[in-house]
Amino acid sequence: MIVEKFKSFKPEEFGCLASAKASNEDNYLMQKFVRIALKTNNIDHCARLCHSSTVSGLSEVFGSGAMTNSIPDLQESKCIFVIGSNTFEQHPLIGRRLVLARKSGAKIICADPRYTPTAKQADLYLSMYSGTDVALLNGLMHHIIENGWEDSDFIKSRTKNYDSMKKTVMEENYNLKNVSEITGVRESDLKTAAEWIAKSKPCALVFAMGITQHTVGVDNVKSVANLMMLTGNIGKPGSGVNPLRGQNNVQGASDMGCLPNVYSGYQMVTDKESRNKMMKIWGVAEIAESRVGYTATEMIDNLADEPGKIKCMYLLGENPMLSDPDINHVREALENVEFMVSQEIFLSETAEFADVVLPAACYAEKNGTHTNTERRVQRWRKAINPPGEAKPDWLIISEIARLMGYEKQFSYKNESEIFDEIARITPSYSGINYDRLEHPYALQWPCPDTNHPGTQILHTDKFATKDGLGIFMAVEWKPPAEVTDPRYPLILTTGRSIWHWHTGTMTRRSETLDREVKTGWVEINTKDAENLGIEDGEKVKVSSRRGEIEIPAKLTEDIKIGEVFIPFHFKECPANVLTNNAVDSISKIPEYKACAVKVEKMNDRDKEVVGRGQRAI
Amino acid sequence: MLKFALEDGVVDAVLGIKKGADTFDARPVLITDPNEVMETAGAIYGGTLLLSKLFGKYLNGSKDLKIAAALKGCDVMGVYEQAKRRQLNLDNVLMIGLNCGGATTPAMMRRIMSEVFLVDPDSVSKVTMYKGHLNITSEGGKKDISIPKLEDAGYGRRSNCRRCKMKVPRQADLACGQWGVREDRVGKATFVEVCSQRGADLVNAAQEAGAIGTEVPDASCIKARKRREDAVLNLADEWRRRDFAPLSNSKDRLKMMIEETARCIKCYTCIDVCPALFNTTKPYITSFPGKVPPEFAFHLLRYFHVADSCIDCGQCEELCPMDIPNALFMHAIEADLEELYGYHAGEDMSQPAVSITKEPDV
Repeated sequence: MIVEKFKSFKPEEFGCLASAKASNEDNYLMQKFVRIALKTNNIDHCARLCHSSTVSGLSEVFGSGAMTNSIPDLQESKCIFVIGSNTFEQHPLIGRRLVLARKSGAKIICADPRYTPTAKQADLYLSMYSGTDVALLNGLMHHIIENGWEDSDFIKSRTKNYDSMKKTVMEENYNLKNVSEITGVRESDLKTAAEWIAKSKPCALVFAMGITQHTVGVDNVKSVANLMMLTGNIGKPGSGVNPLRGQNNVQGASDMGCLPNVYSGYQMVTDKESRNKMMKIWGVAEIAESRVGYTATEMIDNLADEPGKIKCMYLLGENPMLSDPDINHVREALENVEFMVSQEIFLSETAEFADVVLPAACYAEKNGTHTNTERRVQRWRKAINPPGEAKPDWLIISEIARLMGYEKQFSYKNESEIFDEIARITPSYSGINYDRLEHPYALQWPCPDTNHPGTQILHTDKFATKDGLGIFMAVEWKPPAEVTDPRYPLILTTGRSIWHWHTGTMTRRSETLDREVKTGWVEINTKDAENLGIEDGEKVKVSSRRGEIEIPAKLTEDIKIGEVFIPFHFKECPANVLTNNAVDSISKIPEYKACAVKVEKMNDRDKEVVGRGQRAI
Repeated sequence: MLKFALEDGVVDAVLGIKKGADTFDARPVLITDPNEVMETAGAIYGGTLLLSKLFGKYLNGSKDLKIAAALKGCDVMGVYEQAKRRQLNLDNVLMIGLNCGGATTPAMMRRIMSEVFLVDPDSVSKVTMYKGHLNITSEGGKKDISIPKLEDAGYGRRSNCRRCKMKVPRQADLACGQWGVREDRVGKATFVEVCSQRGADLVNAAQEAGAIGTEVPDASCIKARKRREDAVLNLADEWRRRDFAPLSNSKDRLKMMIEETARCIKCYTCIDVCPALFNTTKPYITSFPGKVPPEFAFHLLRYFHVADSCIDCGQCEELCPMDIPNALFMHAIEADLEELYGYHAGEDMSQPAVSITKEPDV
């Protein structure tokens, strides 16, 4: 039935999403299927929502969008600058490296609007407003250059375009007095941070969503790259630009080409040679045209605002009904889908819109590989059989493909065979196979041949750009798309908590985790709460131009006055009803980290004090 | 003897460890086919995993299966503590104790290979500890280093192993190992101390069936075994002095505990792996749900529940993702309580003076 339906649509009418939780094998076959059988490049996945800014930004300035260093060598750093990451809650084992570095005398700097568990472990905490990152980074660079602390040797021999970047950051806009006003960080703290970063050899920068999830996400990433090139902190152990990727296989899903503009290994769909190579290796006469397809955020916008353009959706996992910004808009979009197939492990909020749900096997129920943030490819090993009729994603995709006439291209006996094809077609994975992955430390790409030991640190001698030079980019600070005003006077920033994973499809089904945190909360500074007459635990109404939710308040000193925080895991009080679907013009990533809201007491009739379990210190 | 025990129906299964991802990694395995028992032969000095909690977690508390297991000191003590807490049926566990001078983590082992011996860890085929030396065989030949020298350089055994004084677990049914075996017999013979009737029955039956041969050891061998044990015990006393010194003042101790536990991410691993606790994390969840880092009271509750029952197995410290020195704190508390009340955990079925053995009702 699915096959019949699929055959009835034109290539441009499809919207497909792969899964950053599924294996490399699952994802590789998904994009292969979408390109061969559905003949479209309209394939994307949730990296769009988290690190698309990173991939766009770093690809341009370094020639490669991945973490430059490795998790273990962070331990050797003398100074770690954490910006836009709550490492201890979101990446605890990377947080561990920060702890170990600190034990050996390293200094930790943490910039965040919230005094998070990570900030609490830092030697220097920069309390900044959401959406002021470029100002902060330009300010640090201004101060470094003013004092002559930049690494001239590195700049001269390894980079280009320095003068244009220097001109911008040395403008008076970015002197520390002005930057302090914009960011809300004390001048003295900015001075200390700049000195530590420039003078600690080596210094590593660690970043995550606080940097990427903005309408200026790509600018933020380029600024981060500027700072590290300025201080000569690329290509050595304990240094580097280190984006911390979230989903277990989001790096892999990107590497496998589940993106509208590239095949696996970031080979571009617009490049004739790459397209011919795919057709040859896949053994087909025709694949999707060499035109960039829709991103996930564009798919939703099209469905809601221009119904009829996209008619059919095929989703592997993915839960845009909770994870995408402006949920009311998403609901409109999904309601406009003519035919939707959802391959899922649980009936998520999104799967409820599907016409057909295909039960899939989870990570413990199949073999495969995934690639983590430090480019390390590691094995999954099947522990139990999938329940009922559930099958591994790669098998389901193969069965559909075969029914559509692609028997030859989809007759893999096992996951290892799929991986071997991945290695043949993807230069950075060429030297990897299941045998080599038996080694406890597995392999980090690039690994071009079977004798290559894998690559721990990127850009050691040269950058991956065409001429081997890193590119400085002049970046001006722009405020977020939606700033506060008298009607919506508070900045809303959203994020995760350690207890639940993203849309909670898996974690909210765990008794233990549910007992830790049953529902959402809005974190609000005690002073702001006082002004509004709100008590700790009281259910309040939070609204934005997009919608409103009712949610318990959590009073705390650990967030900047004027800013509030809501975690996005909880469907009964979803942060994303409020968020803005304005996106970065290049990466199309939504601005989850900054929009404007108001918080109000509910009517006396509706007032409710929710349990003491969420009490702040 | 394990093979015989399985063949002869003395037990239904054997719990042992065998080589995992590489030479230094240990993987627990439950064996029902006697022919597979030999796969667990030898020692894995990187095998720091604890077997005592596997009974409660995965083997239905050895209620319906008779299981024989090769157990080092911390495993044996753990089994007793778990039995006191009704997490396993001691009658169904046949304990073959092993003398042990201490283990080190697989990751540390690999570091020792590459940083101290300057060899590729993957080229190492054999690792032994004999007469206070760490000996390796690799593609580059044989090398060795004295363990005290290794430890002074910052490598070596886990810190809890260095403080441990349960080197020959005589509260098991048998206590076996290499200490005291004559030089020319090393690798071919094992010293066995028979410690219980069950142990005696097993040795006799195995001998009668021709599965093993036995000999009475020379007086010199017995002396050598005692010398070996005393040497390691003396080293343990020295390490206790060193490790506990910064904690001797109670204010300093409290300050250090508060500082070190401030980075706790409440993963519950320390609670989950502790043989002096239960197979539930419920009592600890209800305190301050959702808070990271948890209030200090979260840790106080652990110290209170474990108290004088800490056997210094080291799991809480080794597995802590934030490298909090949990075992150091727990052991320091236990050492004080041991002095006060004279109760020794893990040696027999006697009840603790302070710790709880009844699972908290939540």
